[in-house]
Amino acid sequence: MGRIIRHVILGFALLLAVSIAFTPAAHAAKEVKIGFSMALTGPLGPAGKAALLAMQIWRDDVNAKGGLLGRKVKLVYYDDQTKPANVPGIYAKLLDVDKVDFIVSGYGTNLIVPALPIAMERGMVFMGLFGLDANAKFKYNNYFQIMPAGPDPIVDWSRGFFELAAKQKPRPKTIALLSADAEFARNAVAGARRNAKKFGFKIVYDKRYPFPGTTDFTPILRAVKAANPDLFYVGSYPGGSVGIVKAAHEIKLEPKLFGGGMVGLQYTAIQMNLGKLLNGITDYWFWAPEKTLKFPGIEAFLAKYQKEAPKQKLDPLGYYLPPFAYAYVQLLGNAIEATKSFDQAKVGAYIRNNTHSTVVGDVKFGKNGEWATSRTFQVQLQNIESNKMSEFSKAGKMVVVYPEEFKSGNFIYPYAKGK
Amino acid sequence: MSKERKLFLIVAAVLIVGSFLITTQMENRFYYKAAYVVLQYVVLATAWNILGGYTGYVNFGTAAFFAMGAYTAVALIKTWKPPLYVLLVTGGLVSGLLGLGIGYLTLRLKGVFFSIATLALAVVLQMIISNWSYVGGGAGTAILKPRSVPLFSNYDEFLFFVMAALAVVSVAVAWLIEKSWIGRGMAAIRDNEEAAECMGVPILKLKLFATTVSGALMGIAGAPFSYFVVYIEPTSAFHLDYAVNSLAMPMIGGTTTWLGPLVGAVLVGTAQQIATVTLSSEMNLLIVGSLLVGFVVFAPDGLVGLFGKIRARLAGREA
Repeated sequence: MGRIIRHVILGFALLLAVSIAFTPAAHAAKEVKIGFSMALTGPLGPAGKAALLAMQIWRDDVNAKGGLLGRKVKLVYYDDQTKPANVPGIYAKLLDVDKVDFIVSGYGTNLIVPALPIAMERGMVFMGLFGLDANAKFKYNNYFQIMPAGPDPIVDWSRGFFELAAKQKPRPKTIALLSADAEFARNAVAGARRNAKKFGFKIVYDKRYPFPGTTDFTPILRAVKAANPDLFYVGSYPGGSVGIVKAAHEIKLEPKLFGGGMVGLQYTAIQMNLGKLLNGITDYWFWAPEKTLKFPGIEAFLAKYQKEAPKQKLDPLGYYLPPFAYAYVQLLGNAIEATKSFDQAKVGAYIRNNTHSTVVGDVKFGKNGEWATSRTFQVQLQNIESNKMSEFSKAGKMVVVYPEEFKSGNFIYPYAKGK
Repeated sequence: MSKERKLFLIVAAVLIVGSFLITTQMENRFYYKAAYVVLQYVVLATAWNILGGYTGYVNFGTAAFFAMGAYTAVALIKTWKPPLYVLLVTGGLVSGLLGLGIGYLTLRLKGVFFSIATLALAVVLQMIISNWSYVGGGAGTAILKPRSVPLFSNYDEFLFFVMAALAVVSVAVAWLIEKSWIGRGMAAIRDNEEAAECMGVPILKLKLFATTVSGALMGIAGAPFSYFVVYIEPTSAFHLDYAVNSLAMPMIGGTTTWLGPLVGAVLVGTAQQIATVTLSSEMNLLIVGSLLVGFVVFAPDGLVGLFGKIRARLAGREA
C-alpha cells in the first residue's frame, strides 16, 4: 500500500514537471499581446481558420506601420476545438500564464459566453466575434460585439425580412417558420416569431428539425407546402440550408418570400454548390461586393485575404466572417492608438463612447455591447447563371434590398419571379 | 478498522486538506481550471470503472449521466439558486435514479447490447433536454456563478477544491467497493455471470448497485459543470468526449483496480490539457486514440497490469 502511494506521489511530481516544462518562457516586454481562443477544429473550424487569417492580416498591417504605440503586435491563440468547456481554461492560461495585454473572443455565442465572466472579473475590454446577445445576462459594459445584428439582436436579425414583406402588394398574410434545433437558429426564429406577430402575419407552420442529424428535408418541406404560406422564414445551419434549398426546388415549394436566417448561403463553397438554385432567395447578409458597401479598407483587406485563403484551403472570397474578424481587432487597435493607452478602462470607455471607422463601415455600440442600430442586410440573390466562383465576386448577384440606405438594386417579388 | 483502511482514509483526508491549502497558496487560475478538468475525469473514469471495470458492463452513456447531473443543477439554479452542495446531492440522486432505472430496463441485455442501450440513452436524453426550454433547450443558457464564496478568494479555486474532494471521495468509494464482498461479487459477475448466480452471488442486486453508484458519481461530477463553463447547451454537456475519455482512461490505467482509472485519468487528462495549449488540438484525439489502441493491443490490463507483470517478472528473475 505504502509503495502504491509513493508511486502515485511520484507520478504527480512527474506530471507537474512536464507541465512546467511545457509552459512557454516570458516573451519580450516590447510586444502587445492579444490573446484569444479560436475554433480551428470541430464544426466551426473552417470559419474559425478564416477568422484567424483575417486577424493575422490585421497584425501584419499594424506591425508594418510600426505596431501599436510603438510596440509590435503578437497574437497568442489556442484552438478551443469548438468546445465551450475548453474556453475557461484557455482564457485563464492567456491571462495568468501568457500574460496577454488584451483579450478578444473566439467565434460564436457558445464560445464567447464562457470567456465573458473571466473578462468581467479582470475588468478587461472584451471584443466579441459573432455572438448573438451573449451579454444579455452579464450586462458587462466593456464587452463589444462586432456582428451588426443590433441592440435587440434576436428581433433585429429578421426585422428587414418582415419590413420587406410588409411593403409588398397585395400584402402577404401567412408565414411558415422552420428552425434547426440549436442555439442560433432557434434564436433567429424566436425573433421572427415576435416580428410575425408585430407585423400581423398569421403563423401557419412553426416547427423545428433535429440538429445535427437531419439530411432529408423533403418530408419537412412537403408539410410546409401543405400549409401554403405566403412567407417562409428559415433558421438553419450550412448543411441544412443546402438541403432545404435543394428540397424546395425538388418539390416546387414557392412561397412569395423565402429565406431569412439561413446560415451558409453566404459561403462561397455553398454558393458554388447551389448556383442557380439560389436565385430569388432573400437572406440575411453582412457584406457583399456591391457598390453601396465599399467601406474604407475593405478591398485592400480582401485582396490580401483572397491571395492567402486558397493556400490554406479557406473560403476563397471571404465575404462573411473575415472582414468582421479583421474589424474587431482593428477597432481595438484604433482605440489603443486613440487613447494612447493600454489601460483597459480608458480603451473600454473610448470604444463605448465613439463611432469607429472600420473595414465593415462605421460602428457605434449600444448599451449591451451590440451595435447601437442594426445593420443586418437583407440580400436577394439575383441573376446567378452558373456555379463558377467568378459569378459570386461580381456586383449585382447579391443585391442589397434592405435597408434603404445601402440598397443596391430592386427587390424581385414574388420569389417565383426571381427564381 | 483494518490498518490498510485506516491508511487509505488518512491519505484521503490529507489530499482533501492539501487541495484546500493549495488554494491559499497559488493564484494562477489556469492551473485550477486545468486541474478541475483532470479531476472531473478522475471522478468520471472511476465511476465508469465501477460498472465497466468491476462488473464488466461497458457503458457508452457516461455523457447522459454527466449531463443529467449538470441539467438537474441548471434546473435548480433557475428555480431557487441553492448552494453547491445541494446541487451535488440532487445531481447525484437524479443520475443515480437514472442508473437504477437503466439497470432495471437493461437487465436482460449483456455485452454489446447493453452498451448500445446506454448509447441510445444519451441520444434520447439529449433530445429531451434540447426540447426543454426551461433549462435553455437546444439554444443553451448562460449561468451566472456566485460572485464570492467564503474561505476562497474566487469561485475557480472553490470549484477546484470541490472537484478535488469529489475525486478523492469517488476513488475512496471505488476502493471500498473493491475491497468488500460487493467488489468480489462484481468481479464474479464480470468473469462469468451464470456461474456467479449458481454460486449464490446476488447478481441482480449487485448490477443495480453498480449502475446506481456509477450513475450517481457521474451525476455529481456533472453538477458543478454549468458553474465551470458558465454557458451550458446540450451539445457540449452530452459531448462524446465524456463517453470516450471515461472509457479510455480506465482502459489505459487498468480496469480491475481502483488505481487504474485514477492513473489513466491523471495521465490522459493532463496530456490532453497540455496538448490543448501547446500542440494542435487534433493531437488531443490522436493521443487518446493511439493510447487506447496501444494499450488494448499491448497491455490489455492497462498500466497497473503492465507494472504488475513487470514487477512479477523482476521478482521471478531475482528468485
